[in-house]
Amino acid sequence: MAAHPGRRPLGPRLRRHVWAWALFAIMIVIAVVMLYPFWYMADNAFRSPGQFDRQSGHSLAGWSELFANLPVASQMLNSTLVCAAAIAIILVVSTSSGFAFAKLRFRGSGTVFLLVVSALMVPLQSIIIPEYVNLAKLGLTNSYAGAVLVYAALGTPFATFLMATYYRGISDELIEAAIIDGLGYERTFLRIALPLSLPAIATVTVLQFIQIWDDLLVGLLFLPPGQRTITAGLATLSAGRTTSIPALMAGSLISAVPAIVVYLIFQRHLVKGLTLGMGR
Amino acid sequence: MSRIELDSVTKRFPDGTTAVRALDLRVGDGELLVLVGPSGCGKTTALRMIAGLEAVTSGTISIDGVVVNDVEPRHRDIAMVFQSYALYPHLSVYENMAFSLRYRGARKSEIQARVAEAARILELEPYLRRKPRELSGGQRQRVAMGRAIVRQPRAFLMDEPLSNLDAKLRVQMRAEIAQLQRSLGTTTVYVTHDQTEAMTLGTRVAVLSGGVLQQVAPPTELYRRPANLFVAGFIGSPPMNLIDARLERGDGGPLVVFGPHRLRVPPSVLAGHSGLDRYLGEPVVVGIRPEHLADAALAGAPPAGPAGGPAPGGPAAGESVIELPISLREELGSEVHLHATIGAAAHAGAAGDGDDVRSLATIVARADPRSRIAEGTIARLVVDAAELHFFDPATGASIRDG
Repeated sequence: MAAHPGRRPLGPRLRRHVWAWALFAIMIVIAVVMLYPFWYMADNAFRSPGQFDRQSGHSLAGWSELFANLPVASQMLNSTLVCAAAIAIILVVSTSSGFAFAKLRFRGSGTVFLLVVSALMVPLQSIIIPEYVNLAKLGLTNSYAGAVLVYAALGTPFATFLMATYYRGISDELIEAAIIDGLGYERTFLRIALPLSLPAIATVTVLQFIQIWDDLLVGLLFLPPGQRTITAGLATLSAGRTTSIPALMAGSLISAVPAIVVYLIFQRHLVKGLTLGMGR
Repeated sequence: MSRIELDSVTKRFPDGTTAVRALDLRVGDGELLVLVGPSGCGKTTALRMIAGLEAVTSGTISIDGVVVNDVEPRHRDIAMVFQSYALYPHLSVYENMAFSLRYRGARKSEIQARVAEAARILELEPYLRRKPRELSGGQRQRVAMGRAIVRQPRAFLMDEPLSNLDAKLRVQMRAEIAQLQRSLGTTTVYVTHDQTEAMTLGTRVAVLSGGVLQQVAPPTELYRRPANLFVAGFIGSPPMNLIDARLERGDGGPLVVFGPHRLRVPPSVLAGHSGLDRYLGEPVVVGIRPEHLADAALAGAPPAGPAGGPAPGGPAAGESVIELPISLREELGSEVHLHATIGAAAHAGAAGDGDDVRSLATIVARADPRSRIAEGTIARLVVDAAELHFFDPATGASIRDG
């Protein structure tokens, strides 16, 4: 910044204040942009279609319509089951393989790790049809198992990458101390590495939960109507000739709540896990 | 209680570097053997091979006469103390110490008794419930020791256990480790890069350089009779002055000549170094410990009289006194280090510590603090010629017996 001749430049304190306020203003704008959809959703969930058109007045009409047309409870349960099963598989695979990639010396470790990580770059949409064919051949379409397996397969590469990075941050001496203390690698993993990686496990859980819970495509493709997840259910709600926006908003609100709750619970771990490996 | 033997142990890493070359070592029952050397000399690799954390490329390692090359670390019954302590951060001090016993199937009452005993010895009783992060560096070090001793293993392996402590604590813990080891009588292999630590702790000290064992001996012998130039330069602080010189025939016996200086080799030295005869007229590396250079004014030496030679007057006069310009005077309180420039080359191959950076043609004298020799003056220094060391400049080996 060139100082104007004859004019004193802003004092450093004042300049800091201006910056702080400018930053604050920008953050407010961003917050409004991010939160407005939530507000819109919450506001319009409590209207009837007529009230929605007029944008005035509130009622529970949207909710009664939602519950009348959609087995909300059972679909929430379906979502929960699919999520839990997929995340369980992801965690088991990613923690053990992440530990192996980080701490065990075996032939081809680097190459295999590279392959796993490169799977991160494959978009779901490009493999969904072959995936469907595969599962159809195994007779796993139209069941929880198919969707769970697809979610697990999609989530595992990133989870493995994250876990391996985390385990690399654990000092080799710690693992060796356990080995010398008389544990094999299996028990070293279970007793030392796993408890120490709780922040990373929390991170994987949250990220995968949000991803799987919010996903629509896999749920629609691989689950029969009776076992649909809540997102797939909501999609069918809008597929009819008339779409009741308030009912849709009410459903969206319900389905958003678990993701928000999970996020809030694990928030602290999440930040810790994501910034991990950035130097200690 | 046990013996550890290494027979021609070599470690070659997949990238082709040889970390340890044909290492032969015997660690006696109850002995504390220190492996010392500059970083990258292979000492830690050697220790890790004994622990079973590194595979042996060739040669054999045996514990109590049983070859353990293919025995898993957990079945070798040894405990290791790591440089970083490697305490389990999620476990309390008690659990850290009990950890190994628990997985070895010890009974709960026995675990409690042993941990309590170790905690008592190491004065860790008030901290048993704390997590490692709530402890100071010295306390963590103690927990690491405690974790090793509760196991009552056949041997302790210690990998630079004190290098993360500050200087004062290091000295204190060094003494504690020495006492502990002596009272327990457990065979111990201790790795360090610090020659002072090696000298003060070791029953015997093994000096390694470039993966090759240079010498194994009790500390005093290592200091007084270094086997080669590396050991001579590595052990001792400030290090031994090593000077490129020639051995020449003088009237009253051989003379060491470097630059304008001439030192008479006393008969006692000749008797102890019969191999010297062959070097007459040849280049040698002469080694002088800093404490064997003294202020002539305080040593009571006559102005031009030899202290070690029987030749008063004549051309041989002053053969144990050298006059050198002093470039630096360092006060240490109990002693004074005088840095002097010599008119000859310091031996270039002298292997210092790495952190002992001294300009080449400079030697250091450890003088009495009463010495009044000042910087920038020419000082008269008496050389204790009876304590001269001689090395072959080509092989670096100490010249002793013919």
